[in-house]
Amino acid sequence: MSRQASGLMAWLLQRTTAIYLSFLALYLLLKFIFDAPADHAELVDWVAHPLVAMALMLGVPLVLAHAWVGIRDVLIDYVRITNLRVGLMTWFVFIIVASGLWFVKAIITAGTGG
Amino acid sequence: MRISVYRYNPDTDKKPRMQDYEVKTFQGMMLRDALLEVKKQDESFSFRHSCGEGVCGSDGVNANGLNVLACVTPIEELKQPISVRPLPGRPVIRDLVVDMTQFYEQYRAVKPYLVRKDPLPEQELLQSPADRDKLDGLYECILCGCCSTACPSFWWNPDKFHGPAALLQSWRFLADSRDQASEERLDALDGPYKLFRCHSIMNCVEVCPKGLNPTRAIGHIKELMLEKGL
Repeated sequence: MSRQASGLMAWLLQRTTAIYLSFLALYLLLKFIFDAPADHAELVDWVAHPLVAMALMLGVPLVLAHAWVGIRDVLIDYVRITNLRVGLMTWFVFIIVASGLWFVKAIITAGTGG
Repeated sequence: MRISVYRYNPDTDKKPRMQDYEVKTFQGMMLRDALLEVKKQDESFSFRHSCGEGVCGSDGVNANGLNVLACVTPIEELKQPISVRPLPGRPVIRDLVVDMTQFYEQYRAVKPYLVRKDPLPEQELLQSPADRDKLDGLYECILCGCCSTACPSFWWNPDKFHGPAALLQSWRFLADSRDQASEERLDALDGPYKLFRCHSIMNCVEVCPKGLNPTRAIGHIKELMLEKGL
């Protein structure tokens, strides 16, 4: 196993997730500009639609993976002290995992009519 | 014309300062000529220069915030008063003279020479015209350092990131049909630092006095890595 962190795979992951996320972001932008849900109930209905729920569920791990590569890049670029860098990376992993779980819970709750 | 020049002698000065000089201009005057005039007025002023023709790559400086090769930069293209500083991100030895050791170490690290595994032929290694064309826009680099010292990624990690100049040369040999060490070259570029600190900021492309495009070369390396890796 290489003792180095990933270079090519991280770069590939960032590029490929960006493709899906750009389409998802465009859809969300158009939806909220031209056909925004009027209230919370309508928002829950929209999220509960199988296609929307699937698109969002797929979007969650991809946006988190994309964010991780971006944050990792920033920390590698700017944080020179190894211990501080590892500490910040760990902190961001916690935030990313927690955000992901919270996001998935919100979608599932909407889907089950909660 | 007034020219403001960065002055710093680590042996005698506590901190750097900008010093103004009045220089008489002439038609076709280049920035190097102006710096030579400053040198005439003040012998303690130091800067590197040699051929005066944009070939040796010695007189890379930062003029009005942009890295340029002083000998091929006409004075009339620069907004006055001209402010001349050393190439950014490098330790200053004196005035405009900077320590380029890390830059050359990164260049050396990419093995900028042909590697052959087959026995060498008795005569020259032949190459088709089409293969030779692939080296255009790559071999012309004069290692002035304008690109790497304009690259934020090289500022932050000059000990680990190869930088645009070295990576342009890396692709120059990866693209060469006569070279037989593609796998080793790509393996050596593995990891998050040597190649992948490039974020396509493209300062290198903007400042290259030879009009070369290191960002494109770096993109080609990534594509080749992908092709061989997947």
